[in-house]
Amino acid sequence: MAAAGGAEGADGGSALWAEVRALLPRAEEGLTLALSGEVEGCVLPLLRRARALLYSPPGPPGAAAAAALARFSDVLRDYSWEKLNAVPWREVGKGWRQVYAYGCLFGALAEVAAGRPQAAVRLCDLGLLLGAAVLDNVLARLVRALQPRLPRGTAPRDRPRPPRGSLPGVEGERPFQRVRPERPPPPPAVQPEEAIPHLHCPSLEHFRDNYLIPERPVVLEGVMNHWPCMKKWSVDYFRQVAGCRTVPVELGARYTDEEWSQQLMTVNDFISQYIMDENSVGYLAQHQLFDQIPELKEDISIPDYCCLGEGEEDDITINAWFGPGGTISPLHQDPQQNFLAQVLGRKYIRLYSPQDSENLYPHESQILHNTSQVDVEDPDLVKFPNFTKAAFQSCILMPGQILFIPVKYWHYVRSLELSFSVSFWWS
Amino acid sequence: MAAPARAWLVFGFSPEEAAGEPGPGLAPRRLEAGPEGILRVWPAWSYVVVETGAGLEVRSAGLRRRLPGWAEALPSETHLVLRGPAEARAWRREAAVTGALQDEPAWSRALPPEPRQPLPLLPGGFATPRPPFFTALPAGLRARRLALGTEHALALGAAGEVFTWGGGRHGQLGHGTLESEPQPRLVEALAGVPMWAVAAGGWHSASISEAGDLYMWGWNESGQLALPSKALVEERAQDDVCTGNAKLVPRQEQSAAKDTPFISIQAFPALLDLPQDLEEVESSTPGAGVNMDSWDMGTSPALTRHVGSSTWWPRGCGQRRWCAGPGPPTSVCWSREALEPPSHGCCQEEDEGELCSTRPAPRPVRTWIEAAGPRRGSCLAQTPRAAPEILGC
Repeated sequence: MAAAGGAEGADGGSALWAEVRALLPRAEEGLTLALSGEVEGCVLPLLRRARALLYSPPGPPGAAAAAALARFSDVLRDYSWEKLNAVPWREVGKGWRQVYAYGCLFGALAEVAAGRPQAAVRLCDLGLLLGAAVLDNVLARLVRALQPRLPRGTAPRDRPRPPRGSLPGVEGERPFQRVRPERPPPPPAVQPEEAIPHLHCPSLEHFRDNYLIPERPVVLEGVMNHWPCMKKWSVDYFRQVAGCRTVPVELGARYTDEEWSQQLMTVNDFISQYIMDENSVGYLAQHQLFDQIPELKEDISIPDYCCLGEGEEDDITINAWFGPGGTISPLHQDPQQNFLAQVLGRKYIRLYSPQDSENLYPHESQILHNTSQVDVEDPDLVKFPNFTKAAFQSCILMPGQILFIPVKYWHYVRSLELSFSVSFWWS
Repeated sequence: MAAPARAWLVFGFSPEEAAGEPGPGLAPRRLEAGPEGILRVWPAWSYVVVETGAGLEVRSAGLRRRLPGWAEALPSETHLVLRGPAEARAWRREAAVTGALQDEPAWSRALPPEPRQPLPLLPGGFATPRPPFFTALPAGLRARRLALGTEHALALGAAGEVFTWGGGRHGQLGHGTLESEPQPRLVEALAGVPMWAVAAGGWHSASISEAGDLYMWGWNESGQLALPSKALVEERAQDDVCTGNAKLVPRQEQSAAKDTPFISIQAFPALLDLPQDLEEVESSTPGAGVNMDSWDMGTSPALTRHVGSSTWWPRGCGQRRWCAGPGPPTSVCWSREALEPPSHGCCQEEDEGELCSTRPAPRPVRTWIEAAGPRRGSCLAQTPRAAPEILGC
């Protein structure tokens, strides 16, 4: 991070600082730096020194103190980042994730002191994405305090990019009416014998006895009717609510490709580059957006049918899937039950039973063992001859519909146009 | 035996800063040597073990303690392994930095009195600066060098073969996959090219052939393989905005950067195309920009004179950087944070041209290989433009 530059007018700076400072414990002893796991002792002096900078002297930190705080942030994040990458994610110690979150907190506060609230929001998002909650989820509270101070709508980005071939007049357009440079391929036909059954608001018992227990897919209709997202969500709405927030985006046609990668960018950038302008494929996929941006969580509900599971409601993983037409999730299986709720746009989905797993040629590597090697819509039948033996069901999932994907059921998903889905993984 | 006049240059993060004290700053500074001089250096993150003419010494912020009777060190942020003539031991970091070696060690192992390879190699296996401290190697594997990464290890065999094992999620094993290997496995892609040295960073690896070619593989997320890195291009663009510095970026490099395929993981060894003839450059002050052919300088440590040569020697790797030297005089470092702040690194200059070696970033796991040469040493550091740039010593 660069050293503290000139802040905005002193009045605005002090008022914002006071508001931000009020999010922290009043006294230094209140900021306990407690960690839920073991970390190496070498980072503790840095945490303590950074904390000391915040509490004395009172008032917004001057340029030197802000620079020192930024430096502590860099060092803490740099060191803990290596710990976050040293083992598979599920094994990462919570203590190290909290150190990372503290690093982001100190860095964000330094950016606020330097008059750069957008950079502060970005650091908060990094802490929310990679860190673990500290100080009563202070990073989320900090973002909420900063967001009103940021420009609305098409926020200026941190990194100016050369203007690409953006389509004219896209501001405020509804997604379905967006002009597309070329016609997309027509949606695949769904033959009657392979169609997934559709049901309107089945009772809990009926769903449990006919679909959950026998592990059979079904499309539920009418369940989402009163979810606020059906009326509120549009590309412009996301720009307003979440435009300045940093999210992970998948780049590349599918995650089995060599060129596939993930990148962090703001929602504004994602919309500008990959939704409005379709030079290459970007997909905001498998991201717990609703933990990061609680405002959006109020627009959705958890399907009642999830109560038929044994797990707690808090254990349900809710993911956002937001992207242009043409995003593909290769055929794969997940270890939990899934409700895939379609809010915007349509998706072509194909399902294969786990009993057909052998005919689907899963990858042998450990990382991709839950993914098939076969490209569902263009299978190489020379390499994968038994693929034709596998029976499947399919549907075109429309807005307002929820697809029940039983546990371990193989599924392939392709968006037919701009699409926003919400998935609920439950047990 | 008079030690030749040498100076160690240190830049970047310091043990003082690790303790939260104000550090000496980011620009290169000389490491205070004392009358005995500093012969070798083994850095951890918050402390460093140096070998002076009078023996080993551990230095952390504001504290120096001698470690009498020990010959080599292998430090980490949890433990310090020391090797002496008859045994090797490990102490917890807290005891080690205060020199409290009379405390019960966390581990010890008797060593036979025979000529030995350098740490981490030990007779029959190798040491790690954390439990289990000793791991056996297959009897048939006669390793003459061994390098430790965060999750993996490399061994250089007697005939110049390279074996790798451990975690492979970032391609650091060089077998072309992302799979882990429980046992040492020959790197087939390098078979037939006898290697001279190996080194390991956090999640990347390097080797240098006897003919002087440099091979790198593993994670390139911040450009540590000197291959095009998307993150660095982004960082550079962001920095251009934040600092307002007008960088002198040649036209051809800009357009090349747009078309370059970015590499985040290099799972097979890649032969690096390094400049062979490095021209003399003028000395400059830190922060100044000097354009030199297709290279671009940022706010990084000072430039200095250097003389080129044609052979490359590995100097060691940081967690996210890599350091090599062309022959005796020059060293090449690829630094993730060449702009701000620069990675911690260190080079040694030799007035009589005896020795040139560099100390890589003081990350928890790093290796450092020394190579002799007749001329003054210097460092090249990679800016976020994925091109070497001259630092200096």
